[in-house]
Amino acid sequence: MPVEVILPKVDMDMETGTIEAWHVKEGDQVRQGETIFEIGTNKAVMEVEAPASGAIRRIRAETGIAIAVGTPVAWIYLDGETQDAAPAAKPAAMPAPPPATAAAVVANQASNGVAAGAVPVGLRATPLARRVARQNGIDLRAIAGSGPRGRIGEADVRSHIAAVAAPAPVAVDGAAATCRSAEAPADTLKPFSAIRRIVATRLSESMRTAPHFYLTSEIEMSAAQALLRRLAARHERLGAPKPSLTVLIARIAAGVLGHHPLLNASAEGEATRFHERIDIGIAMEREGDLVVPVLRDAGTMDMPAMAREFARLREGVAKRSLTPAELGGGTFTISNLGMYGVDSFTAIINPPQGAILAVGRTVEKPVGRDGQIVLRPMANFTLSSDHRIIDGVTAARFMADLREALENPEVLL
Amino acid sequence: MPSELIEAPAELRELSYAEAVREALAQAMEADSRVFLFGEDVGVYGGAFGVSGDLVHRFGAERVIDTPISELGIAGAAVGAAITGMRPVVEIQFSDFVTLAMEQLVNQAAKIRFMFGGKASVPMVVRLPGGSGTGAAAQHSQSLEAWFAHVPGLKVLQPSTPHDAKGMLLAAIDDPNPVMIFEHKLLYKTKGHVPAEPYRVPIGKAAIRREGTDITIVGSSIMALKAQAAAARLADEGVSAEVIDLRSIRPIDFTTIAESVRKTHRLMVVYEGVKTMGIGAEISAMIAESEVFDFLDAPIVRLGGVDAPIPYNPVLEKAAVPQEDDIFAAALNLLRRGEA
Amino acid sequence: MNDIKTGAAQIARPNQRPELAALDDATLRTALTRMHLIRKFEEAAEASYMRGLIHGTMHLSIGQEASAVGTTLPLQAQDYILSTHRGHGHCIARGAEPKLMFAEFFGKETGYCKGRGGSMHIADVEGGNLGANGIVGGGLPIAVGVGMSIKAQKNGRVCMVFFGDGASNEGAFHEALNMASIWKLPVVFVCENNKYGMSMDIARAMAVANVADRASAYAMPGHCLDGNDLAGVAAVAREAVARARQGGGPSLIECKTYRWRGHSKSDRNLYRSKEEIEEWRAQDPIRRLEDELKAHDRFDAAALMKLEEDAQREIDAAVEFARTCPDPDPKDLTRDVYAI
Repeated sequence: MPVEVILPKVDMDMETGTIEAWHVKEGDQVRQGETIFEIGTNKAVMEVEAPASGAIRRIRAETGIAIAVGTPVAWIYLDGETQDAAPAAKPAAMPAPPPATAAAVVANQASNGVAAGAVPVGLRATPLARRVARQNGIDLRAIAGSGPRGRIGEADVRSHIAAVAAPAPVAVDGAAATCRSAEAPADTLKPFSAIRRIVATRLSESMRTAPHFYLTSEIEMSAAQALLRRLAARHERLGAPKPSLTVLIARIAAGVLGHHPLLNASAEGEATRFHERIDIGIAMEREGDLVVPVLRDAGTMDMPAMAREFARLREGVAKRSLTPAELGGGTFTISNLGMYGVDSFTAIINPPQGAILAVGRTVEKPVGRDGQIVLRPMANFTLSSDHRIIDGVTAARFMADLREALENPEVLL
Repeated sequence: MPSELIEAPAELRELSYAEAVREALAQAMEADSRVFLFGEDVGVYGGAFGVSGDLVHRFGAERVIDTPISELGIAGAAVGAAITGMRPVVEIQFSDFVTLAMEQLVNQAAKIRFMFGGKASVPMVVRLPGGSGTGAAAQHSQSLEAWFAHVPGLKVLQPSTPHDAKGMLLAAIDDPNPVMIFEHKLLYKTKGHVPAEPYRVPIGKAAIRREGTDITIVGSSIMALKAQAAAARLADEGVSAEVIDLRSIRPIDFTTIAESVRKTHRLMVVYEGVKTMGIGAEISAMIAESEVFDFLDAPIVRLGGVDAPIPYNPVLEKAAVPQEDDIFAAALNLLRRGEA
Repeated sequence: MNDIKTGAAQIARPNQRPELAALDDATLRTALTRMHLIRKFEEAAEASYMRGLIHGTMHLSIGQEASAVGTTLPLQAQDYILSTHRGHGHCIARGAEPKLMFAEFFGKETGYCKGRGGSMHIADVEGGNLGANGIVGGGLPIAVGVGMSIKAQKNGRVCMVFFGDGASNEGAFHEALNMASIWKLPVVFVCENNKYGMSMDIARAMAVANVADRASAYAMPGHCLDGNDLAGVAAVAREAVARARQGGGPSLIECKTYRWRGHSKSDRNLYRSKEEIEEWRAQDPIRRLEDELKAHDRFDAAALMKLEEDAQREIDAAVEFARTCPDPDPKDLTRDVYAI
């Protein structure tokens, strides 16, 4: 198995370190003991030696940014080990944390236990914390661990339960009603469903921890509409479902994200986790609840494949047949409310993702073209970004490329 | 009558650990003519640590037998006597010397019953003074009990108190299997209540020395005492530690450990033997494999001997094995009062 | 069952050497039967091995029958033997039932050790056979303990322990002989010197010419014998057993003999010549005894032939019996690890 190279603890009270310089590059042969990078602490610069001999691969840490102690920064592949075949290559790839959308947790409750893959990779929690969370339908990712390196203990889960779940029973008991005016008509107080409780927790958490900022672009959709018409005929020949605007936007966004890794990333402690794969979540509604099925590896799909997958997911949502893994773990989310006549809106980031794209309706508007006022189909795209990892200019460049792509969609497809 | 009133009640009588062992040997030899004691310098010398004392004068040189310096021969002779109707108790002068007797203990004593299809038994007891803290350096200070706990067919005991030293030795002499008793040299002078009459402490049953709710500390022999001292200090810090004295490491009382960890959610295992591949590994793995895993609220901690021979220098010697301060600090760490 | 009177029938047999004259016809019949049984047992074992009926390896004693049978002739029913990895002959010489030995050999529940011991650990504790041993020299220290038992229990028994030339270079040999001698234990040490410790020629492995020479270091009689001469072996054994039984202490008997087969089934005989093997085959202990008995008209050819045929029949029946016996149940695997 490939040998993990971690950012080591080189100082007593060190929690994060910064790689000052790499001495090797991807694919270099290193000997055990050879210096492979320099690490800066608040006191000194230390050299870090290779823990094994072999080829250095999957260098995943940039210089100059704070990285948590113990984070893998590269792998050393021994002779004969290939990146694809080696089992350790999987953890190395660090798939985006899977489920833990509201629906995922509900599904887990139904099956009376969390599937192995359902616990977020990289999340630190004790067995007892996991057990208590499982029993109470709590998503561990909504909890900030108070232990070393953010480890979640039982006490963290208990206080989370107390904080989140307690108000509901109190209200049901009517205790809250005593605060209300006696003359007021009797309201209906319905406790949150488990899924609603989790949505509430997660979105509150997102707003609290991720500093949001918003950029809106008004983008002309004529080329996109024309393309959709042409694709409809082609898909029919191929036996693929008719492509919707949402699918086309997802396809184009996936293409653009490939050039904007920071938009396909997550804040993690004091580090940024860059996701290898582009997994696009599509916000959908199901009986009043929000679910976000994921178009896995969207960057590699062509339109017919994506249309098929989208149709499958939509049907799966309706039939409640999707697995927790299919309902979580995206790296970027698209929410399209255009079909409800919404012109534009701002969305809350689906944690731990770094950004979400809110799409309004396409409507013909007078716009200036070559000195003339003409009518063109226009739509508002609003990007919500996590300012911890994404700056204004970074987001603006993404939006510029998105506009370029939507106005000239053939280029990307 | 006044004369009776002057005598302390039997249950308050105090003996040293060494005296308790000697009393068990004497009572066993009085009760059963098959029991005899042999080893290096156990006769008129009284044993290297004074355990056999005056027994040779009370029972004669035919039942308290000085042997040549032949550990393999001693162990083999115990096997031979045991399978032909005797109840030998041998002393390996320093437990380190058991390396010379491994063949007979591991290949013969432990396996004879099994190899012979249950048609023989090997009721012998091997007493082994061991452990560090006396400045005797690397070849006279080891804690090798885990080696023997790895051998099916042997039983391995580590009593920590004079009471258990007597009761477990008597139980071991009764036992139809080969039993190894590791006696920590630093315990020989410790004192405790020891009833005068013969009694047995069951083999394979741990003792909860202190009840607690926040952390389970498991140890045996002298480490059980250090754990109790550390637990008393932890109480001052508001930490309620439960201390389990294993007493027997093969068979091991897994139930008591598991029930405790289920309650406290935290486990620390303390042992003087070298940490790597030791008793702590076994206990940790048993918990990790069991349903109690789901009740762990912190990583399991092992405090074992440093991976080095026992050094001579007293400061180094102390640093080589877990001390009360180490247990105290590690427990606080585990409870996140410090950095884990 | 093994109460052979040797030396009791001192009928005038003027032309015979005293060793032969000392054995009456009944004793000789027993001895011949046992030697044939050993030879046939080993041959059948070899054949079974080749037919895949036997699971492990085995160490055959063809060629060494006079040593096993001659030394044990003077033993009484209550006496003990301890045997070696090349121990089938000792078992049969001590009166073990070949069918139960084969059952053990085939790993059956009905075997002497319920299929747990196999070829190298056949024991018959009730029959006085305290077990063969897979460890070279493993039985030697045990014999000391058996001697201590006998002495403590004052039951007048004798312990005879077999070992090979290789074992005499083990520390266990020296420790055991020394301890048996200082305590004047009723032990007879029998070395079957078959010239090779696996492949190592004893002349290259030992600093003295004969194992028996080492007896002087432990102040006991050392006898160096032609191990293929049944009558000669029996005569010396009779003396050593009597000395042990009377409290005179241990003796060391060295029977110079030869194993016709390799060390085990994987031996390709690279370390010895065909000529050497042929030379020793000419010294076949069974044929030598038969020839001598015919020469002195003690038995005629037909009577001798009948003894051999009876032995063959018993062995054939034993193999048949063993093949049909049940295998042990895996659920009983750990049954006899500990005595309860």
